[in-house]
Amino acid sequence: MSGLFPNAWTVARREYRQRVQTRTFLIVTAVLALVGVGIPLLPVAVRLIAGDETTAVAIHSTDPVVQSQTVVALGAILHGDSDGTRWEITAVGDAAAADVRVRDGDLDGLLTVSRAGDGELAFDMLTEAGPSSQWLFAVRQATTQLSIGDRLVRAGIDPTAAGGIFAPTPFEVTPVDPDAKSPEETYGAAYMMAMIMVVLTFMAVLTYGQWVAGSVAEEKSSRVMELLITAATPRQLLSGKVLGTGAAGLTQYAVVVAAAAGGFALEGLVAERVLGDGGSASLESVNLWVLAPFGVFFVGGFLLYATLYAGLGSMASRQEDVQMATGPMLMVGMVGYFAAFIGLNTPEAQWVQVASLIPFFSPYVLPIRMLLASIEPWEWLVAGGLMVAFLFGALWVAARIYSAGVLLYGQRVNFRAMWRAVRVNR
Amino acid sequence: MSLVVDSVSKRFGPVLALDATSFSVEPGHIFGLLGANGAGKTTCMRIVLDILRPDSGSISWQGRANTDLPRRTWGYLPEERGLYLRMPVIEVLRFFAALYGVPAAQATAEVGEWLERFRIPHYRDRRVEELSKGNQQKIQFIAAILHDPEVLIMDEPFSGLDPVNVQLLKEAFLEMRDRGKTLIFSTHQMETVEELCESIAIVDAGRVVVSGTVRDVKRAMGRQVVRLATEEADGGDWVEQLPGVTLIRRGEDYLELQVRDGADPRSILAAAIARGERVTRFEIADPSLEEVFIEHVGRPAAVEEERHLAGSGRGVDR
Repeated sequence: MSGLFPNAWTVARREYRQRVQTRTFLIVTAVLALVGVGIPLLPVAVRLIAGDETTAVAIHSTDPVVQSQTVVALGAILHGDSDGTRWEITAVGDAAAADVRVRDGDLDGLLTVSRAGDGELAFDMLTEAGPSSQWLFAVRQATTQLSIGDRLVRAGIDPTAAGGIFAPTPFEVTPVDPDAKSPEETYGAAYMMAMIMVVLTFMAVLTYGQWVAGSVAEEKSSRVMELLITAATPRQLLSGKVLGTGAAGLTQYAVVVAAAAGGFALEGLVAERVLGDGGSASLESVNLWVLAPFGVFFVGGFLLYATLYAGLGSMASRQEDVQMATGPMLMVGMVGYFAAFIGLNTPEAQWVQVASLIPFFSPYVLPIRMLLASIEPWEWLVAGGLMVAFLFGALWVAARIYSAGVLLYGQRVNFRAMWRAVRVNR
Repeated sequence: MSLVVDSVSKRFGPVLALDATSFSVEPGHIFGLLGANGAGKTTCMRIVLDILRPDSGSISWQGRANTDLPRRTWGYLPEERGLYLRMPVIEVLRFFAALYGVPAAQATAEVGEWLERFRIPHYRDRRVEELSKGNQQKIQFIAAILHDPEVLIMDEPFSGLDPVNVQLLKEAFLEMRDRGKTLIFSTHQMETVEELCESIAIVDAGRVVVSGTVRDVKRAMGRQVVRLATEEADGGDWVEQLPGVTLIRRGEDYLELQVRDGADPRSILAAAIARGERVTRFEIADPSLEEVFIEHVGRPAAVEEERHLAGSGRGVDR
């Protein structure tokens, strides 16, 4: 049996060049890169557009003391909230005129305050805003605070002391193991990061796996295959195909991920320039170097799936049959994907630990444990060793299916035929 | 040492594609593999190339099993033509040459020579899909020989070519043979075989019914053909009275007669002279390959092809 190289390189080089030169590839990559940059910047853009708006609320009361107190207190409470909304709280004497301004859209709301017979404050808001409006919710919360303050004063508590009642209580979280648990906001960012990685891995494996399978089926339907298998061994063709198409896929993937990373990096800068305050780049709190070993498993898992995709793709005679022929890979991928999502909430569970060692699932499950739990050195070794072993196994099985599959035309993809192909040589 | 196919059998499900097929090809010969569609020619070629494995039997070239031979021993032109349509001609050819280990510079030079020979040098940098079917077929032929294979195996190389291109390809065949290559090809066209082949095998339903040099195969039929013309042109009913003689065709101005084994063709001439006929033509010939084929397979090869085409077209809306 001849070795893999140089023929696998020859095949891979052709595959890569042909793929990367197509207009579809260039357009799709450019569009995805734009999306990649755009998503992190989206919140900034939203705030830029929404940030200019000021919420104007007029306060009216027949009691001038209540009115002025409400304006001051409500203004203080609302401006104290740091969600970025700008408030314009004003007192109005003419309720009817203010009523018209609300209906004209000049004012967002007219708040009428009155003191009932039992001394309780009552609020009535005239507005076009719906019940789910965020600013209305904020005003409502503020009025509650105002009422409580008012009740305390009426109960005889000194107004200056009443302010202290609302001061936040110190509350600290002490982890059992200071190394294992990260502070709360870091954990949140890590959780988000893990989720993003699972989704990205899943997409890469499926999309580029399909590319490989489709490309094998294309060679079959264009009948180049018969020349190819005369010129090179199935293993050379298969690994060349996986490497070439895989490299093209990873090129696209790298461009998009780099664009997204650039977007995140720029977010703070752009927010500062445009909005005058810092961004919310919470990902900075995650140590991204933790992810370096994951790269190895990403590539390994990718090769594993792509190799089997190539083998199964050889069973299809036409592009239309590719989906069906590669169905099993999709199912395996889905299992890993969902396992990872369930595992997000129980990163310490034993089944997550086991799944993170199995080659078909490790690309999905490992980043979760990496970011949200911890991994022992021996686990890295076991997962890596299994990955390498499975890769060789997959190449063997796929080459078998391939050498039988490439000459089968017009037959329905069936798994008995595939099984026979694996057992019997051609 | 020749190419030896030794009692090779191959079964695809219920179909016995090859049934103990045996034949051998002398090095430096042009060898014709004749048979109707579905006779097993393509399967046989694929097994020789080791892209299919036989259920039993073996193949050897120069005394070595085909499973031990490097792939560059063989050049192959499959029946179903296929190239990378979107790639330029030169790049496709360099790609296949590279798979066989031919350096790029050498491949480029040889491609130039062959494109000249096939009178299509201006297509060098065009995409394959821009070429006509006939020209694609020439490109495919070049792809099969760039690595200088010892044995060239071609499945229906002449099908779909116009007469000019058939002639160009025939010249290329002879060129390859002069370089000491061994050529094996399958075809339905008996005239081409008569013109090019030193030896043949006729395959029917997976079995070799006859094989050997063209002359031996013809002689082995044990009968000869006589073509006779006389000035009288009386219809020649009398010849059928002669023992061992059958009238097989009435030509425009001659009669074609078959002489069974054991009978002497010259007795026809003697009988004609005895009748006082004035003989203008008397020719003793071996039977044509067409006749040999019909004798062994029971039907003509070309008719079989048409029937096959008609049959395959039945499912298509016309």
